[in-house]
Amino acid sequence: MDSSSSSSAAGLGSVDPQLQHFIEVETQKQRFQQLVHQMTELCWEKCMEKPGPKLDSRTEACFVNCVERFIDTSQFILNRLEQTQKSKPVFSESLSD
Amino acid sequence: MAELGETGEAELQCLVEAEQQKAHHFIELCWDKCVEKPGNRLDSRTENCLSSCVDRFIDTTLAITSGLPG
Repeated sequence: MDSSSSSSAAGLGSVDPQLQHFIEVETQKQRFQQLVHQMTELCWEKCMEKPGPKLDSRTEACFVNCVERFIDTSQFILNRLEQTQKSKPVFSESLSD
Repeated sequence: MAELGETGEAELQCLVEAEQQKAHHFIELCWDKCVEKPGNRLDSRTENCLSSCVDRFIDTTLAITSGLPG
């Protein structure tokens, strides 16, 4: 079976490109929704004290900070992991066996 | 990039996703430990905590892996 143009959807070598595009878009949407769900939970934990009659501005401001800091944190850790992997390849080797 | 063929690409995709999940896991764990109330920026205390967190988690994994019998 010959594979058509290099597809990132591995194993679907000869799939209709329209379907493939649809799958990629849907996968992206799903990942985004998972991220939203995760951040909602994390920020609820950090910012919400005792739920009151409405969302006050302090809590709202906290949510804004939360999302931004979480993105900063993710970036920071990814950079750190990259550095660590470069200097200590032992880690990924010991875990991939 | 060398031709991987369909099987190779599938394996590579799995590896990439596994790595992403590992990183994701790190991020959540260290967020929990190091960020109390999210502020206007990541201050240096938080950044130090995050760095230490990554390093200590790796140490922990190695310690537990090598401590297991057999």
